Amino acid sequence: MALVEPNPNPSFLEKLQSIPKPVIYGILLVVSTIPLFFSVKLPNKPIDASIDFYAQTMKLPDGCKVILCSDWTNSTRGESKGEMEALLKLLMRKHIKFVLLSIGDTQAPQVAKDTIREVSASEVASGGTPYKEFEDYVNLGYYAAAEGTILAINNKVLSIAKGKKDFPEGAGPKDALLSPVFQGIKSVSDFNMFFLVTASGTNRTILERITKCPLMYMVSGVMVPENTSYYASGQLKGLCGGVKGVYDLETIMEAGINNPGPDLIESDKYKGESIPGWKGKTNKGKGTAYYLALHFTLALLILAVVIGNVGMFAAKRRAK
Amino acid sequence: MNLLAQVDPKTFWNATNGSSELFIKLALALIFGIALATGLMFAPPQLRKWVVRVVTFVSGLFYVLFWLFPAPISRQPNDAPRGTVEALSFFISDSQSVVASLTNVIAGFLIGLGIYSLLRVHLGKIAKQQKDWFFSAVLVISMFLMIFFGYGDYIQRQDPKNFVLADMKNWGWINYGRDLLFDGLLQNMDAGMFSVVAFYIMSAAYRAFRARSIEATILLVTALVVMLSLMGVVELMWSGMIDKISPDNPIVQSFKLSAVSSWLRSNVQTPAIRGIDFGVGIGLMAMGLRLWLSLEKTGGDS
Amino acid sequence: MGQQYLDTGWFLMFLTLLMVGFILFNISRAHGGKDLYIRRISGLNAIDEAVGRATEMGRPVLMVPGLSDTTVNAKTMQAINIFGYVSRVAARFGNPILVCCYNASTFTVAQEIIRDVYQQEGLIDKYDVDSVRFISDRQFAFAAGVSGLILREKAAATFFMGEFYAESLILAETANSVGAIQVASSTELTQTPFFIAACDYVLIGDEFYAASAFLTRQPVLVGSLVGQDWCKLAIIGMIIAGTLTNTLQQRGEITQEHKEGKIVDLPKPRNVLAKDTIFSRLLKPDPEKDIKVAREHLPPDQVPSGGGSDK
Repeated sequence: MALVEPNPNPSFLEKLQSIPKPVIYGILLVVSTIPLFFSVKLPNKPIDASIDFYAQTMKLPDGCKVILCSDWTNSTRGESKGEMEALLKLLMRKHIKFVLLSIGDTQAPQVAKDTIREVSASEVASGGTPYKEFEDYVNLGYYAAAEGTILAINNKVLSIAKGKKDFPEGAGPKDALLSPVFQGIKSVSDFNMFFLVTASGTNRTILERITKCPLMYMVSGVMVPENTSYYASGQLKGLCGGVKGVYDLETIMEAGINNPGPDLIESDKYKGESIPGWKGKTNKGKGTAYYLALHFTLALLILAVVIGNVGMFAAKRRAK
Repeated sequence: MNLLAQVDPKTFWNATNGSSELFIKLALALIFGIALATGLMFAPPQLRKWVVRVVTFVSGLFYVLFWLFPAPISRQPNDAPRGTVEALSFFISDSQSVVASLTNVIAGFLIGLGIYSLLRVHLGKIAKQQKDWFFSAVLVISMFLMIFFGYGDYIQRQDPKNFVLADMKNWGWINYGRDLLFDGLLQNMDAGMFSVVAFYIMSAAYRAFRARSIEATILLVTALVVMLSLMGVVELMWSGMIDKISPDNPIVQSFKLSAVSSWLRSNVQTPAIRGIDFGVGIGLMAMGLRLWLSLEKTGGDS
Repeated sequence: MGQQYLDTGWFLMFLTLLMVGFILFNISRAHGGKDLYIRRISGLNAIDEAVGRATEMGRPVLMVPGLSDTTVNAKTMQAINIFGYVSRVAARFGNPILVCCYNASTFTVAQEIIRDVYQQEGLIDKYDVDSVRFISDRQFAFAAGVSGLILREKAAATFFMGEFYAESLILAETANSVGAIQVASSTELTQTPFFIAACDYVLIGDEFYAASAFLTRQPVLVGSLVGQDWCKLAIIGMIIAGTLTNTLQQRGEITQEHKEGKIVDLPKPRNVLAKDTIFSRLLKPDPEKDIKVAREHLPPDQVPSGGGSDK
């Protein structure tokens, strides 16, 4: 709503407060697209939440078992796919088995499976071992009743896998409970961590109901403020948010925490400990690919806001 | 008597999977359900209201008891309850996973209702050739195509011999059709629609982020600080500048972008969000209570 | 003591029941004829103005009760209740309405409520069955469908209330582009800033839940609202009490600590930590970890196949 009468002959500065939308959209399209063609290593100081996420994941015993709830779809792949890839790299390098399920969207299991296959292929290409469905991870698919399912996981975790089938490579469907992932599992507390990768409201559903297993979340950038209060209170052991969070993880995967070197990342919380990185492995991912574009788009956003305000003040001054 | 829990030995309320006894019981339950629904249609409104209230209360009561009634401590699978109270808590605990499955079943039937609504509106538009009937035709055709190819692909993959479909080389035309519609069209259109949000954020920020008042100016400045802190290059330059001014003074050091942004998040944003969360949570509890006890008169009665 | 009380302690359960008591007590107070005050909520005052404007322009009023899961939850019900009031105003003005539903259960409930409203107003012949419609249960297909409706029908007033996610800005900006007056509220805090940037009036946080009380002045709703305010005061009191006790207690050293329900001696004195304070132990007790309960065993043929919960 304009506070001043529209001027029939606005000056250049006054015109700045009413740039047509097609012009703004065109500039944004150019500014956000061109940096995607360049791969530039940018300086970055990871935030505490990302450092905690990496450290707690690295402290999981090799070969242990975790639950991975994947509730993102291709609509948020710009952020969520990068987060998922970074997490899967860590899990695969530590040979951690996981139970994959979704409570947020019917498309989510398929996009998660596709991402697992891609990351497994990339790990094989850099000298790792392939991750096999049914042997190293079991896919329980989508559950429509989110609240009831998460309650059931906390109460009686094996009940959610009853009757579910998964597909080992080169074989027909098999009962999911026969998977090596479920061997020795009697309760949700037998899982070492509950990871959630989401861009929807399933964060609260899980936080309210999972009490016997530690939680770590990977969320889209817009959900970071909401989840920061849970991280600050200690309900979440770590939090990774948005493209910045992904880039933080990729930076830490390269350098480690409190590891002496040119890219030293210090953390007071882990003083006295040195948590290694994964130098020599393929750590770059969507965070590195998109961080430069993020810089340019944020800069454009700031410029647009400043220009709009300059135009507004010019119009106000003219009206006086 | 275990009404809901799927137990062995078998009771009146369940039967072995795939047996004729199960199908007979399902058919009887269906007939009973239709009779009940028909009876309710002809029942006077006052009776219907009471039926709704009782069903709402009993349904809500299950989860209220689940949360409030003392749950069994350290229960082993073959434990027997030590009295009536523990018997009830065992029953509630055993039933929870079955009740969760009931919700899944109801959700499945509701999808059919949604399809009915869509078809009624859009087939009507096509038949009467109303304004924009072409879009309705596209919707109906897309819906049937997705059902056909999606269900066909699913049926094929359920066959234990068809694990070879994991390799694209073994796909048939149905599998390619599903891939084109789902991965090629739907997934990418989803991503495209979400990308549109970026443009709308830009135009909304340009239009709305104006320093019209003191509060708006404070909002604007804090938003700029937080956005700048997300940019690693700016953060590095700013920190370098702060370090040049005074590398050892903790007060000057606390003006680094990451420190300011972290302070804003921990001391301004998080408490505000927590405060709003308290209010929203209490409001939700009150709303749930009113719905459960049927205290609410719906329809915006004045 | 139940398993769930081991984690939360008795205090949180007592607090929950106390808050429930506050709400029910105030509902009965309001039923008793007591006049209870609610402050103005500007977004709701604008409803009549918005619908009137739509009537003058001869364009419909569009309402979206949010994107909930497969079932109708309390937030969706609240949104539909508010839309019942909006529909009543629109029916009196003879203005067409459009209610766009995200899932089939919301669609059935909304249809019933809107039809009831028209019936109560004596305008059942003006009720258009297709004014309440199910669009899609895919988030962005829903956003595309509603945006298309807004652009084609050129809605003059739009109401977005309930659970909204990333599609909130798509809907709000589309409505803004056709010059609609917008009243919005999202229960998702992440989306409230987007609505504030794009909409004319926004209900923040629990103003959404106060809306039906404000509009209808039903004793149940007003009493419930006052009860909620009592609950908030109780929480504020707890925060102040907690801050004071923690500040006073976290001085000096202790030689004993509470661990797993027992008081144990420390090997050497240490500073008082937050977890040692009264409030911390009230809200987060540290119960005994491995409680064993001796029970008799069921005969093998009576053991439920789905029975037993995890430890």
